[in-house]
Amino acid sequence: MAEVAGRMAEAPATGEAPPTVRRRGGAGLWTFRRALPRRTETALALAGSLAVLLIWEGAARTGLTNPVFFPAPSTVLAALWRMLTQQNLLWHAGISTMRVWTAFAVAAVMAVPIGILMSSYRAFGAAVEPIIDFIRYLPVPALVPLSIIWFGVGESTKIYLLWLGTFFQLVLLVSDDMRRVPQEYFEIASTLGAKPAQALKDVAFRAMLPNLVDNLRITLGWCWTYLIIAEIVAADSGIGFVIWTARRYMKTPEVMAGVVVIGLIGLLTDQLLRALHRRAFRYL
Amino acid sequence: MSGYLQFSGVTKSFGGVEVVAPSFNLDVARNEFVVFLGPSGCGKTTLMRMIGGLDQPSGGDILLEGQRVGAPDRRRGMVFQSYSSFPWLTVGQNVEFGMRYRDDLSEDEKLARRDHYLDLVGLYEFIHTYPNRVSGGMRQRVAIARTLAAGSDVLLMDEPFGALDAQRREKLQVELRAIQRRDAKTVVFVTHDVEEAVFLADRVIVFSKRPARLLAEIDVTSRLGADRPLELRDGAEFFALRNEILRLLRQAGGDEE
Repeated sequence: MAEVAGRMAEAPATGEAPPTVRRRGGAGLWTFRRALPRRTETALALAGSLAVLLIWEGAARTGLTNPVFFPAPSTVLAALWRMLTQQNLLWHAGISTMRVWTAFAVAAVMAVPIGILMSSYRAFGAAVEPIIDFIRYLPVPALVPLSIIWFGVGESTKIYLLWLGTFFQLVLLVSDDMRRVPQEYFEIASTLGAKPAQALKDVAFRAMLPNLVDNLRITLGWCWTYLIIAEIVAADSGIGFVIWTARRYMKTPEVMAGVVVIGLIGLLTDQLLRALHRRAFRYL
Repeated sequence: MSGYLQFSGVTKSFGGVEVVAPSFNLDVARNEFVVFLGPSGCGKTTLMRMIGGLDQPSGGDILLEGQRVGAPDRRRGMVFQSYSSFPWLTVGQNVEFGMRYRDDLSEDEKLARRDHYLDLVGLYEFIHTYPNRVSGGMRQRVAIARTLAAGSDVLLMDEPFGALDAQRREKLQVELRAIQRRDAKTVVFVTHDVEEAVFLADRVIVFSKRPARLLAEIDVTSRLGADRPLELRDGAEFFALRNEILRLLRQAGGDEE
């Protein structure tokens, strides 16, 4: 509405008729780079997933695959139900989620101010970037023995490993988000009387916020990757533990069910954060 | 000439490369509209940024009412070509932001000023609209209203209409000139568009290509008058001035765009 009104206000009244939209008959689903209605996209997404499941089910039922290694989706679903009702799967999922969020929160609370400082004061950035870059490339699994030596096999080891996997990535992403805030924004703020700290808080932080939230969402996903490693190595609870225990007894359906649960939690969290992003940053 | 804003022997080099040569002197009177005109990249923007305190001169002084200008402050407001308004604030909030760091105004006074300047630039009906919903020309008007609301005495404008189509540009030029006259502001305006310079300026300062050297000062107001209706653009004197400046630039070998 506002857009239309805006155009009317600015354009001289030439009495132009709106351009007629011409639809060519036969332009269908397969037009190159053509946008599709939302409903069609949802339908296609469901159909695609369903097709994969059906093919998989068929392959398992007809004996094309060995059910010990590759059980049918229906078997996995049954195992999932059994685990939910008899094996406290929800409790394990809750424990894992708690671990992910705790480590992630610690990483984010540290990474955001440090990342912002790295871009705001180049001296600081120059001093810490090589170290962060180095640690960033260390594979987390390689640091498992060291973290067990330091923290034993308790809860802190898991949190530490997750933190390790996310903090060093996140801090560089945050630093980059801040670096990409246009210099003009700082200059406008300063010519309006803002002190550097005010320009940082009132302008730069607001400018980088959408990207920051996006990066947090992506990093949260990585956290789950490291969680499984941590829970396999040393744990008596959590989804990683469930999967690893099921593997020991060759309960392939349960292994798969565990993986599916992680996928579902991930999908749910991601969609939730995306929805939040859309709501919070309507102006984009 | 009253020395409201003075460049006195200003030099500037970036990494050993001269931007201003050899040294720059200029007096700008209070409420004067001065346009810096010259080829792209000639250093005119740097000269203007130094007034705002966004760049520091390598030598010499820039004085505002006899005081050497320091770090950026509210007295010298800036309007850029791009990123001129904050996308996360509505049009109204953008204008309010201009007064965010003013403790001398009450909330009511701030709102009254916001409404006044929104009205002045003709954007009152878009007060609750986000900048991405309005045209580029309106976004520039938001930036101008914000700087006016901040109470800047000197408006520094870096090709603020550069990205607009010809019609909007003309309209905004008329508005800006009217606002400058009504609100009695001192404006330093940077452009490489000769017609824009002639139409807006009391005085056009013509620069050579880099390093910036003052080629000529042209007193426009003594020839066109202080009022600038749009029809002025069709007059013979306007064309004469325009051609004069174009010739100057051509002789200097600057590749005018």
